[in-house]
Amino acid sequence: MKAHRIKALFLRHLYPLRRDFDLLSDMLYWPLVDTLLWGITSQWLAETSGQASVALAILMALLMWNIIWRAQSEVSRNLIDEIWNNNLVNLFSTPLMVREWLVSVMLLSFIKMGFTLVVITTVVVGMWQADILFFGWWLIPFIAAMITTGWWIGLISAGIILRYGPKMQTVVWTLPGALLPFSAVFFPLERFPQALQAISRVVPTTYIFETMRAVAAGGVIDWYSLTTSFAFNFLYLALAIWYFTRSMRHSVKLGLGRFN
Amino acid sequence: MKKSPLVVQHLTKTFPPEKKGGNPFTAVDDISFELKEGQILGLLGPNGAGKSTTISMLLGTLSPTTGSIQYFGRNFARHKSQSLQHVTFASTYIKMPWRLTVWENLKVYGTLYNVQGQVFEHRMERFLKFFGVWDQRHKTMNMLSAGQITRIMLSKAFLPYPKIVLLDEPTASLDPDIAHEVRKFVKLQRQEHGVSILYTSHNMDEVTDVCDEVMFLKKGKIIAVDKPLNLARSVSTARMRLLVKDGLKRIRKFARAQNLPVAVKGREAVIEIDEQAIAQFLAKLAGENISYSQIAVDKPTLEDYFLQMSKDEL
Repeated sequence: MKAHRIKALFLRHLYPLRRDFDLLSDMLYWPLVDTLLWGITSQWLAETSGQASVALAILMALLMWNIIWRAQSEVSRNLIDEIWNNNLVNLFSTPLMVREWLVSVMLLSFIKMGFTLVVITTVVVGMWQADILFFGWWLIPFIAAMITTGWWIGLISAGIILRYGPKMQTVVWTLPGALLPFSAVFFPLERFPQALQAISRVVPTTYIFETMRAVAAGGVIDWYSLTTSFAFNFLYLALAIWYFTRSMRHSVKLGLGRFN
Repeated sequence: MKKSPLVVQHLTKTFPPEKKGGNPFTAVDDISFELKEGQILGLLGPNGAGKSTTISMLLGTLSPTTGSIQYFGRNFARHKSQSLQHVTFASTYIKMPWRLTVWENLKVYGTLYNVQGQVFEHRMERFLKFFGVWDQRHKTMNMLSAGQITRIMLSKAFLPYPKIVLLDEPTASLDPDIAHEVRKFVKLQRQEHGVSILYTSHNMDEVTDVCDEVMFLKKGKIIAVDKPLNLARSVSTARMRLLVKDGLKRIRKFARAQNLPVAVKGREAVIEIDEQAIAQFLAKLAGENISYSQIAVDKPTLEDYFLQMSKDEL
């Protein structure tokens, strides 16, 4: 693994930010629109229900969901961007290794996600005085769980695109969307239909959102939930890396040139 | 004796059937060859002969079904990254990210090969000025013409001091004067740095000019490897042009009677004939009372060889 090759991919994906509004809109515009929408909705719900913790839970859920979204998007969208730019053959005919590509897109997702998070947090704290530090150091494992989830979703989407081609590029947007209801992001798990709760219980983010809501309502951290979430996350991440590398091998068997 | 930097042995690529119940397709069929140090080897063949498939396998963007590729004595499959540090390519058909400027794109590629800082800047300035695209360096790729992109791709290919360069139709979208500069550049790189080059082109004059040897592929198999002129000489049929003063119809009838293809344009009759048989043909022609004022014999070229070899494809 060479640092200069990871740096090269950083340059490849950071240079366009200087001049591209659609990339900036992904990083800033839509997260800000979401924040305003859910921020106002959460205030209204808190006022009508008389429970202040509802607002905090919704705003934190929004922040956390944006972490997942950005983390997955940098992995899968960067791959689709190479395909759109006819650049996959250019990249993988250099000394670049697949694992270097993986590390670079994961690190890039970390940087870009950090940028989005700073902006959203400023708005959430500035406009609604949300006490996001209410969770203290627990924020670190919460955020780590969200990033891990984003990575494995991104890797699965990228693997599907490599295997089946750009006709399947919609998974970049639909796969994380499918996870949104099952994660019980904005509502408690018990509100979800009984039959679908079984699926939610194997989604690692469900445990984090449930824990966050419990803590916001004055409860304590449930270690079992947290451990289960990380166990599922690491298992899915390992499987996603395995699937991605297998898809890459499959794609090389058919030729990366087929994407041109 | 020096080892060849590239040794290909029994390379085969069979693609699975596109539809269920279809047949697998063998694009490259058991080919073996070597690219010697400082050699420019032409890779020729009609469409579908297996040139692009071969190049893709040599770049590691397509895995072979069987056979082996060795770069610098090392197995490519096992040492892909190390090998590609010294192997680059340029193709008319591959683009670069359009959101990035020329300079940014080249910087990304320079960094991938660890060519950075002043070395990168000096080298890029030299190449971009040579190819006449220095003034375009701050433009994004979508603002360039096809010819300009081709020249940027060539600059990219020679940026990291490669030992082997694979050039896939490097002059396909260039004006003749720029194409001439490209050929000059390629020869200079070989001369100055001993770069070995695998060269594909549909311009047979260019291949004759640039390549030391030519490898002809057909239906995935190598059917000939020789110097371009030797391949041309292997075509025995020449074209004899006669400017006929009197007897145009008779000359056509006469040639056809001897099973020789003949074409008539204005007063000129073009007869395809074995070089050895020309003298005898002209002697017989004199007996037929056919008079001509000019005669020219076009010796067979690499293009004739190409056409002859590709005939079965049509």
